[in-house]
Amino acid sequence: MADDNIEPDQASFDKGYSEDANQVNQDDLILQQSKNIEKEISDSIMLVGDKEDIMVLEQQYIGDEVYKGKVKDLARKYSNLRRTRPDGNCFFRSFGFALLESLYHLEFNSFRLIAEKSKDKLLELGFQKFTLEDFHDQFMEVVNLISKPETNEDTLVEVFNNKDYSDYVVVYLRLIASGQLQQDADFYQNFIEGNRTVFEFCRQEVEPMFKESDHIHIIALSTALDVGVRVRYMDRGDSTEAIAHDFPEDKPPQIHLLYRPGHYDILYPL
Amino acid sequence: MESQNRRLMRDFKRLQEDPPTGVSGAPTDNNIMIWNAVIFGPHDTPFEDGTFKLTVEFTEEYPNKPPTVRFASKMFHPNVYADGGICLDILQNRWSPTYDVSAILTSIQSLLSDPNPNSPANSMAAQLYKENRREYEKRVKACVEQSFID
Repeated sequence: MADDNIEPDQASFDKGYSEDANQVNQDDLILQQSKNIEKEISDSIMLVGDKEDIMVLEQQYIGDEVYKGKVKDLARKYSNLRRTRPDGNCFFRSFGFALLESLYHLEFNSFRLIAEKSKDKLLELGFQKFTLEDFHDQFMEVVNLISKPETNEDTLVEVFNNKDYSDYVVVYLRLIASGQLQQDADFYQNFIEGNRTVFEFCRQEVEPMFKESDHIHIIALSTALDVGVRVRYMDRGDSTEAIAHDFPEDKPPQIHLLYRPGHYDILYPL
Repeated sequence: MESQNRRLMRDFKRLQEDPPTGVSGAPTDNNIMIWNAVIFGPHDTPFEDGTFKLTVEFTEEYPNKPPTVRFASKMFHPNVYADGGICLDILQNRWSPTYDVSAILTSIQSLLSDPNPNSPANSMAAQLYKENRREYEKRVKACVEQSFID
């Protein structure tokens, strides 16, 4: 038999190799599955939805006394809700939308200056000029829409549902958050779990799209842009109200977000 | 122009004007979403002198999602699947939209020099890399020679 002529060593190598040839590309399988889930979500939920009455939340929690109590409490402080797609970018997208909307009422020019300058800071930190400029240009295009008289709420909803703009805004905000973390790396290092440097954390958890946000992302972004955010937490906790956290701590809130485990939406105060 | 087309044209321009050592790439004639690329085996590695062909396939979500990169040339490497697929973190869960085609190709080039046998796509190659370097290099050299013919 032919096999008898092969040295034992060689035979085991060959066997191993042929198994490898059949080794399934697991990455492709996992990618395919997550693509299917993403498609289901993207077919049914807009990137940024229309304004809804705050009481729509009550219908979602029929029979759930803890949540119902918290919805009632929210309704005493907020009139409306705007949902965003739960794709891991919801914090950054909600933040971006609510921020631009708030600029109708606030000093637009001072924010535009911060936004313009943000690029130089990122370049100093060593971000690649070529790709950074692409995101910054697109971001500024959206920011500058606010100063045009014909821009209204519908324009913003339309732009934020156009992936070419919406995702670029998300990317750029992620880069700003990353830049802030790296600039104050000594401070933020204390809040990073595991044996990761701030730089590694940024590369793994902040810059990639679709990575969910934590407190540290919110603190970094709100600090970098000098924009106060109030997050209302709605969870199973004992309290009868949806507890508020302000970021950065001492800054009056310019935008309001609702957090339910794993997801952020936009809130509108009464 | 849609943003990913604009971005792909910029990637291409940068690759032409400022090409990193040992890699090249260009869109195929009819389709800017599919590129052909070549990575030359890095010096002082068993891959030296090899000219390895790859295909890079973008989706409309680029640069927010990574392209699919595969070796078209036969490869024997701990992190390359039998179908040419590449197990590299920046092409999966650690992708950043700030990477461009240059960055992708140079990362793959470094992967040739520094395999990661702890997350194997080809368990045979990983095992040989760790336990029988001579046999590993022999098999890699066979791929190098094959790459001249392909």
